[in-house]
Amino acid sequence: MIGVPLLRSELRKLATTRMPLAFVAVLAVIAAVNAAAVTWGTDFDGSKTFVSTSADQRSLIAFGSNAVIIAGLFGAIAVAREYGHGTVIPTFLSSPRRHRAVLAQYGAVATGGALIGLVGAALTVLAVALALTTTEFSFMVSTAGVVRVLAAATYAGAAGAVLGAGIGAVVRNAGGAVTGTVLALIVAPPLTVQLINDASSWVPAPLAIALAGVDPEAASVERLPNAFGAMVVLAMWALVPALIGMVTVGRRDVV
Amino acid sequence: MDPLVQGLKQGIVVEQVTKTYGDRNVVDSLSFQACPGRVTGFLGPNGSGKSTTMKIMLDLAKADHGSVTVAGARYRDLPDPTAVVGALLEANAFHPGRSGRNHLRILADAAGVSRDRVDEVLGQVGLDDAADRRVGAYSLGMRQRLGFAGAVLGDPPVLVLDEPANGLDPMGIHEMREMLRSLAADGCTVLVSSHLLAEVELLVDDLVVINRGRLVASGTLAELREEATWVRSPAIEQLSSVVQGAGGVVDPADGGLVVRGLAIEEIGQLVCDAGIALHELSSHAGSLEERFLRWTSSPDAEDSEEVAP
Repeated sequence: MIGVPLLRSELRKLATTRMPLAFVAVLAVIAAVNAAAVTWGTDFDGSKTFVSTSADQRSLIAFGSNAVIIAGLFGAIAVAREYGHGTVIPTFLSSPRRHRAVLAQYGAVATGGALIGLVGAALTVLAVALALTTTEFSFMVSTAGVVRVLAAATYAGAAGAVLGAGIGAVVRNAGGAVTGTVLALIVAPPLTVQLINDASSWVPAPLAIALAGVDPEAASVERLPNAFGAMVVLAMWALVPALIGMVTVGRRDVV
Repeated sequence: MDPLVQGLKQGIVVEQVTKTYGDRNVVDSLSFQACPGRVTGFLGPNGSGKSTTMKIMLDLAKADHGSVTVAGARYRDLPDPTAVVGALLEANAFHPGRSGRNHLRILADAAGVSRDRVDEVLGQVGLDDAADRRVGAYSLGMRQRLGFAGAVLGDPPVLVLDEPANGLDPMGIHEMREMLRSLAADGCTVLVSSHLLAEVELLVDDLVVINRGRLVASGTLAELREEATWVRSPAIEQLSSVVQGAGGVVDPADGGLVVRGLAIEEIGQLVCDAGIALHELSSHAGSLEERFLRWTSSPDAEDSEEVAP
C-alpha cells in the first residue's frame, strides 16, 4: 500500500540530515542523567532504596514514556519541516495520490521513532548498569525484563513518532508542530486526568510504563492497564492525529 | 496506440480553469494549450496566477472549476507521473543541510530512477563538482540548476518550469535555453514561466499571457509581435477615424499611428477607399516588453487584447 520506493525515499530523507544525530545526543544526555542519578542520588532518608530491587531498577530503565515524547518531537519536526523547506512538493509530484506519500512518511518516521526508543532504552540500560557498579546494588533486572523494556520503548517510540508526524502534517510548521506535540503529550494528559480521574492509566506515560511490565507500586501509580490494552490505546493515541493529518493533507492545496 | 503516446500529442491542455482563494479569483476561466515540440512561455505580472495554474496542472492545488490534462490525463491519473512530467516550481525547495546528490537520490528513489541517472543529470547541469556539498552553501543559480536536474531526472517528455532562469548567470541562461530548445526539438512539451522578457523572446515559440488570472493574449511569438501595423500620413486624424470606424485600435506614436486589430491588407484597403495619402504602411513588431506592459497594465486590457493562436 505504501510502496517500497516511496518508503526508501522517505527513509533517505531522514538519514541525510543531521537531525538524527541531534536526537542521539539527546538520548545520550538522558542516559547520562540517569547514570548520575544512580551514582549520586539518594532517597529522602539518604539511602538508595530507589534502586534496591529489580522492580525499582526496571521502573528506572523503562524508557518508554521518554521515547513517546522524544520520538513525538522527532516525528513532528521531520514532517513539518518538509512543508517549511518545500521538499514535500517533489514527494507529492512523485505520488499525486497523497495518502501514499503520507503513509510512506509515517512509515519512515515510525522506523526512526522506533530506533530512538530502542537506542534510548539501550543507552539508559547500559548507563544504569554501569552506574550501579558504584553502589552497593548490582543490576538485578532479568534478561527477559530488559528485552521487554527495550521492546516497549521501541513500540512507544514508533507510536510517538507517528503521533508527532500527524500533528506536523496538520500544522506544517516546525515550531507549531513541536508546540502541538508538547501540548498533546505533556500538557494535555495531566489536564485530562484532572478532569477525568479514570483516564489516569490511559495517557501515554503510564501506557508506556505498562508496556515495559513495570510494577505499578515501583512506578508510584495506582494501577496500570495490561500490556495488550496499553499497546492498543497507545496505538490509538498515534493513529487519531495521523489520520487527521492524512485527511488534511489530502484536502489542502500545497502553497 | 498506447494511450500515453496518444496523450503526449496533446501536450498540456488547460480548460476553463477557475481557482478562488477567499473572494479573490486567482485564476479565472483560463484556457490554453502547450503543444509538444514547442516551448511555450507563460507570462504575467507577479500575482497574476501563473504559479497557481502550474500547481493546478500538477495536482498540488485543486481547481474550483475546469480541468487540466497533461499527456491526455489528469496528473494524478498518470501511471508514472515523474516519468511523464518534470517540474521545477520553487527555487528553494531543498533541505539546506542535505547535499545536492542526496537531494536527487531521494527524488530518484521515489521515482524508481537509477543512481547512474543522478550522476548523469548532475553532469548535465554542471554540478558534478558541487554535488556533495550542502545545498545551503549553493548560490541561487546552483539551486536553480539542481532544481532543473530534479525536473529532468525521469527524462520526461513534458516539462513545467516556473522561472527556471532566475539567478542564473548569462552562461547559465544560455545553457538552459539551449537545453530547453533541444528538448523541444526532440518533441518535448515545454512550458516555462518567466519575468525575463528578453530571455522569453529568445526562448519561446508560443506565448500565453495572463493578467489577474485571465488570459489576455496567446499565440505564436511571431504572431503576437507582428500584430501591429505602423502607419504614417499627412491626414493622420482622418486616417485614425477611418481605422477606428472599422474596428481598429490606434495608438499615436512618433507622428504616426500604431494600429492593432486589423490586418495590414485591410488597413491598406480602407485608406485607399477613403482616398487618404499614405507615407508609410508597414508591419510593426513591437518589443515584447512594450506589448506585455500594454496587456497587463490596463484593467480592461484582458478583454480587448486577446489574440487567438
